[in-house]
Amino acid sequence: MSAATKAASKAKVTTPTDREIRIERVFDAPRDRVWRAFTDPKLLAQWWGRGNKLVIEKFELERGGHWRFVEHGPEGKHGFEGRFREVTPKDRVVQTFEWDGMPGYVIIETMELTDLGDGRTKILTVSLFHTTEERDGMLQSGMEEGLNQSYEALDRLLATMD
Amino acid sequence: MDRTFAAISDPTRRGILQRLGRGDASISDLAALFDMTLTGMKKHVALLEDAGLVATEKVGRVRTCRLGPQRLDAEAAWMHTYQQMVDARLDRLGKFLERTKGEAS
Repeated sequence: MSAATKAASKAKVTTPTDREIRIERVFDAPRDRVWRAFTDPKLLAQWWGRGNKLVIEKFELERGGHWRFVEHGPEGKHGFEGRFREVTPKDRVVQTFEWDGMPGYVIIETMELTDLGDGRTKILTVSLFHTTEERDGMLQSGMEEGLNQSYEALDRLLATMD
Repeated sequence: MDRTFAAISDPTRRGILQRLGRGDASISDLAALFDMTLTGMKKHVALLEDAGLVATEKVGRVRTCRLGPQRLDAEAAWMHTYQQMVDARLDRLGKFLERTKGEAS
């Protein structure tokens, strides 16, 4: 392996918050090829799964579109799916990601491709984790806040009535 | 990685990890909590132990369970596994791009 390809395969993983994983990596390929590898189901099936047979059941590459991949491993099937939230060709994809094994644990994945101008491409993926518990928690705190605001408004109203 | 997948893909096993996050428990405690036979609970615990998520110790006739060396609950284990999965996937993408270099597509 040449020094250039070695450098190209180095990943930078950071966790800015305990809910977020950021992975940055440079590939020794032009942006067009990288984009095709991600968006042509025939190419995608060749590397996405962990060496297992990958069945792409759905791949509606557009805002709101549904994607679903099923990996057929020796120990059983693993289904992964989500919806596309944003698709900007060759530039940026935002999608939800859920594994059948942990339903309700939704990850929001953002992928950005940057043309480095020298035939290489940088991929940045940011994965944000949400859980049902967290959503419920947010809902509760949101309601609490709303309630407090109502009380404050009531206080103000009552003050003007003195 | 597949062991973690198998270990956390079951709601009972996720519940066990959640319970052990609050403190150690014996197999019979867990069996009672999840309304299950001892044999059934032993199988779940064995799968979690196999994935390194749970450690057990037998003192006298009681087998005590606690979170494994990594102290991961189900959600943290999933985040950890997910990160490894994405990282390995990007490895494969790199190899794929190298392999198909120069191919007209």
